[in-house]
This record gives sequence, C-alpha cells and structure tokens, in this order.
Amino acid sequence: MNIYDIIFYLFAIVTLVSAAFVVSTKNIVHAAFFLIFTFFGVAGLYILLGADFIGVVQILVYVGGILILLLFGVMLTNKITNVEIRSGTTQIVPALIGVGLFAGILVLTMVSTEWKSAPGEIPFTTAYSLGKVLLTDFVLIFELLGILLLIALIGAASIARREKE
Amino acid sequence: MPQNSQEILLMLPHVVIGVGIVISLLIEMYSKKSETILPWISLFVFVFAGVHSIINISANQILFGGMLEVGGKPAIFNFIFNIGAALLILNSIDYIKKYESNHGEYYILIQSAILGMMVMAGSKDIFMIFIGLELMSIAFYVLAGINKKKSSSNEAALKYFLLGAFATGFIVYGIALIYGVSSTTSVDSIIQNFSTFTQNILFIVGLLLFIIGFSFKIAAFPFHMWVPDVYQGSATTVTGLMSTTGKTAAFSVLLIILSASLINYNIDIFAPYFAVIATLSMLYGSIVAIAQKNLKRMLAYSSISHAGYMAIGLAAANSEAFSGIIFYLAAYTFMNIGAFGIISIIEKQNDANTDLTAYAGLASKSPILAAFMSLFMFALAGIPPLAGFFGKYYVFISAIEADLTWLAVVGVFSSVISVYFYLRLVVYMYFKESEKDIDLHIDKYSLLSVVVSGILVIYFGISPDSLLNLILSVVN
Amino acid sequence: MLTEFGKIFIFILVAILFTIIAIYAAKLIRPSRPTKEKLDVYECGENIEGTPWVKFNIRFYVVALIFLIFDVEVVLLFPWALTYQDYGIYGFLVGIIFLVVLGLGMAYEWRKGDLEWARPTPKKVDVKFEKKNLLQTNSQINVESEN
Repeated sequence: MNIYDIIFYLFAIVTLVSAAFVVSTKNIVHAAFFLIFTFFGVAGLYILLGADFIGVVQILVYVGGILILLLFGVMLTNKITNVEIRSGTTQIVPALIGVGLFAGILVLTMVSTEWKSAPGEIPFTTAYSLGKVLLTDFVLIFELLGILLLIALIGAASIARREKE
Repeated sequence: MPQNSQEILLMLPHVVIGVGIVISLLIEMYSKKSETILPWISLFVFVFAGVHSIINISANQILFGGMLEVGGKPAIFNFIFNIGAALLILNSIDYIKKYESNHGEYYILIQSAILGMMVMAGSKDIFMIFIGLELMSIAFYVLAGINKKKSSSNEAALKYFLLGAFATGFIVYGIALIYGVSSTTSVDSIIQNFSTFTQNILFIVGLLLFIIGFSFKIAAFPFHMWVPDVYQGSATTVTGLMSTTGKTAAFSVLLIILSASLINYNIDIFAPYFAVIATLSMLYGSIVAIAQKNLKRMLAYSSISHAGYMAIGLAAANSEAFSGIIFYLAAYTFMNIGAFGIISIIEKQNDANTDLTAYAGLASKSPILAAFMSLFMFALAGIPPLAGFFGKYYVFISAIEADLTWLAVVGVFSSVISVYFYLRLVVYMYFKESEKDIDLHIDKYSLLSVVVSGILVIYFGISPDSLLNLILSVVN
Repeated sequence: MLTEFGKIFIFILVAILFTIIAIYAAKLIRPSRPTKEKLDVYECGENIEGTPWVKFNIRFYVVALIFLIFDVEVVLLFPWALTYQDYGIYGFLVGIIFLVVLGLGMAYEWRKGDLEWARPTPKKVDVKFEKKNLLQTNSQINVESEN
C-alpha cells in the first residue's frame, strides 16, 4: 500500500461517510453542510485520477455555486429549521429489494469485469487538451451548451420571478 | 464545422431554430407586443424547419465530423417534431391568453425544446444525445410550471423535475459505463463493435441503465409514476407537446439501440426487457384509464399504454418494427395533438371543463369539434381506416414476424379494452344531455390546428403507404 | 513524486491539523467555569430575540442562480481561452458566439428587472384628498408593507 492508495482511501472515506450523514441527519442545514465534505472528497478523487481540471471545476461549481444555492434554498424556506424532515423507515422492504438488486448487479459487474489499466502517463494538465477538443470535435456541443445555459437562465428567472399584480 | 455551403444548407433547420430563439428573446425584451409577434415567429420557424427537413430527406449526411446526422431518418423525426409543434403553437395563441403569465418565455422554451429533440434525433455521438435531452427536458420542466398561479401546475413542474433528474442520473451513469468499455462516444463505432462489446457485462449494465432512463422519458409502465399528475397539472398545450414530440424524441434514441442489434445480426439482448415493459404498460394504461373521469388524466394513461404498443416493436427488433415504430410515432403525434387541441379549446381557467361531463352534449353545441374529437378517439383506439390502426398493425405484424405472437395478442386484447374508454367520450358527446351550460369560444387558429391534425390522421389512414414508403426509403 | 496538487494537499493537511491541535490544546489548558450569561449568543449586550434562522429575501436566490449559470460559463470558457489562438479567427468566433448567446441571457435578466432589488414602493399620498380617503390610502400602505 503506497502513499497514493492511502490518499485515495482517505478521500473515499471522507466522501462516503459525509454522504451517509447527508442522508441520515434530520437537520436539513446540517445535511447541506455535510454535502461540502462529499463534494470535496469527490474533487480529491478526480485530482487523484489525473483529471485536475474537473477536480477544480468540482470545487468551483459544486462547492462555490450549487451548495450556496442549496443553502439559500434552505434559508429561503419559511420556518424550515422547525420542520422535522421524515427520513427513513417507510417502505423499507421494497427499497431494500430495489437497492439490493441494483447494488448486487453493480458489484457483480465490478468483480467480473477485466479492468484495463490506463495506458501512457497521466497528462500534466488537462485544460489545454479539453480546449482543443471543444474547438474541434465538440464545437457543436460547445455552442449548444451556450443555448442550454441560456434556456436554464431564462427558465430559472421566469420561474423565480414574482408576478406583477 | 461545416465545410461548404451545401452542408450549411442541410443544417439550416437547426440554425433557423437557434436563430429563432435569439430573435424571440430580443423581441421579448424590446417589444411591448411580444405576445402577438412571437407565435408567428415560432410558427414560421417550425414550418420552415419541418418542410425543409422533408424536402431534403434524401440528402443524408453526417456533419461536424460525426456529430449530427441530417436528412434520412432524422429528417422524418424533424418533420414530426416541427409540424407537431407548429400545430400546438396555433392552439397556444388562444389558449395562453386564458392564463395571463409569461407569454414570451413560453414560445422561447418551446423552440428550445424542439431544438433539443432535433439534436437527439440526429445525434451520432452520446454527448449529443445528452445535450439534446437536457435542452428538451429543462425547457419542459419550466413549461410544466409556466402557470405559476395554479398550484397543480407547480406540483407538476416539481414532480417532473425531480423524476426527470432522477432518470437523467440513470442515463449519465449508463453513458459512463458504456464509455468505460468502448473508449469512444461515437454512436457509429459503438454500433460497429456492438457484438464485441456485448460480451462485456459492464457494457450491458451500462446500456440497461441507459434504456431504463429513457423508459422514464417514454412513460413506460414501471417508470410511469410522474405521468398522470404531470399531464393533468401542466398547461394543456404543453401536455400535448410533452406526450407526443417528447415521447417521439425518446423513441428516436431507443431506435439507435434497435439499429445496433439490427446491424449486428439480431443480437437482441434487451428483447425480454422490452417485452415485459410493453405488456405491463399496455395493460396498466388501458385498465386504469377506464377509471378516469378527467380527460387529461385519461389521455395520460392512454399515453402509457401507447408507449407499451410501441415498445412491442422494440422487443421484436426487426426491420419491420423499425419502420412500424416510426409510423406509429407519426400517427400518435398527430392524433394526440388533435385531441389535446380540442381539450385546450374547451378548457376554461383553473382546469374547468376538463372532466368528461363537460363534453356531454357537445355534438349539439359544436358539431365540428365533436366530429373531430370522435375522429381522434377512433384513431387512438385503433379503428380502421385511421392512422392509429396502421400504426398498431405494423407493430403487431413485426411482433408476429419475430415469433412474439403472444405479445401481439396481448396488444390486441389491450386495444379492445381501450376502445371502452375512448368510445365512452364519444357516447358522452353524442348521446348525453349537457348538465351545465358551458359557453364555447372557438378560436379560428385553434380550429385550424385541429382540422390540420384531423386531415393528417385521415390521410395517413387512407394511404398509409405514402408515409410508410417514405420511412422505408430512409431506413435502409 | 510530489505534484503541484500534492503540495496543495500537504497545505490542506497542515491547515486542518493546525486548527484541530490549536482548538483542543486551548480546551485542555484554559479554565472552564461556564455561567448562563457566558454561554449565551453575543448580541451586543442585548437579550436574544427570536431565532437567527430568518427567512431570506427571494432576491438572494435569483442572484445566486445567475451566479451559478455564469460560473458554469466560466468553466467552459477556461479551456477555450487556453486554445482559441491556435485556431485563428475561427476559434475566436466560436467563443464569441457562445458569449453573445449568454450575454443575451444577461441582457434579458436586466431588461426584465430581475437584477433590481425589489423594494416596497410607498404610494404617493395626495394632500388635497379628503380625510377619509387619506386614511384609506394609509391603511393600504400598511397592508402592502406587511406583505
């Protein structure tokens, strides 16, 4: 077990444990804060895998953007801290069957697949090659993403806008 | 990047809709009369894109270095999407006035939804499928809740968003696993090596997750929970769009998987899965629809059962099924849009007059609406010689060819059940006295849209070969 | 081999350890004699009134939403900015189209007044009104500000 493995397991444990807290805690604000650790853990895993750009994006967008939005959402809702969210015990048998089946298939797949180890060396930075792909093969996707973001902006604004009386 | 003027010409439908979104946005920003201008701009954009696609159907090309396919099969889908959307825009002109909110955004979002569908239908890369799906879905999430004053509309938007995002999660996970095995996102190269990849269980699991995600989008049985509430709560024109073109777009992606198994000498690993969801959707949709008193809810269950009929074709997985499904989608789109168009004419504010009782005695008040509604109901039930009959016929034939006769028998059985609730509406319209007096205002554009859908349904029914030959010419 | 991220990781570790050690060392050393006043939340010497979890204005949410969208835009522009000069005018135009489309979104928000901070607008009271009318308008104002 080398240092790389130790760091990997560290991040994996941070991600999994905080994710477990997110779903099990009854306080919705605590859940939102535990999500920070989940996102950080995932970002660490991305960087360990050599996807440095994605890792930084994970922190920039998820921790810096989505989580802030989530906390705003929590704080915007009236009297949310007094509300005990129901979590857990209903429909436990069908949920167990569904999740068990899904997890069973995934674990079976994981065990039975011959994993290819990645050829070559990990690139020093990935942002440049991403940019090259965005401007050559995926240029149409780049422009469509512009329209997608525009639609998201219009949709979000028109949903959140207050009606004029 | 398009290399020459011919390629630019071929992708004109996409460009026109993209430019249409931008222009509509500018008009919405700077014009006070945007709600009277925007429907006509959207209408022009859709009619242009639809007609352009069908004219250039033989010019089949793949643009942007294996990203977007134009002409051929996508052209047929583009035709369905755009003409369907154009008909609904005609309906919306009057309908949207009943709810006085967000006129401009409504038309912009419909355009972007259609652009997303066209990207999905023409995609030759997994990323394109995903981007198209998101463009369509995000527009639909907002459109479902466009009427903010109605609480059922808010509920519909939230439900659709949560379950849609859940389904998208399945799709993305599936894409990740597929990419993990194939190391490429190009649909063509995945199809070419399909038989090698299917020996890898990881690939099959990935594809299964991908298909499950799209089963949500086509509203097939175990993944149908959102359908009734969303269809009932959303604005009627939006429901019309979601249930027809949205379903068609999701099927256009599932047909890619079908073509993969066709090209690779019928390696059809997912036939059992599709057979099961087809059977369950058909029977569940038809039986539960009987209990519905609300017309929009009834059509929602009917939409589930129609997804089942089309899934028969996916289970059969032969070339007859391929063309049969496309024919069915075209027929279903126009008959359902016609039905929802009539509902949108009769509906009043706050969901009034969407119950069956509102239709009692409609034949004496408005013979033309009653006649067209009966036409669409007969077509949905699959009574010859209307378009719906031939859709079912081709799909059932394909099932029999694939030695799945039992599936065809279940389909016929379910159609017989469904005749009950479709004809019940006709009985209400012609043989019941109206209990309350509804004041009927028939807008001329809405009526035009209904008449055009009616003509298309009759035309596809009387001469199904005209459409089928067109489909056959591009499928091979 | 220590990459750049490895160095950052060591920094993070040191930062976390330093905080934990500092807090717990202080806890071990300092005397602990709590009273009710000491344990209260400090609010400028006033008694505590209500809960700190108040409802935020919806406007914060809209601003955060816009921020998030442009956050994603920046993420996409980063790789573009690194490479576009290799592709000449074509690369430049691709990014410009992307930016114009998103700029339109911003213009839309601006034009529609989503960026304006909503304030309750007090009605102008015409002094020439009779007393009865004046009272009515005043009560209307009160109702509005409560909303």
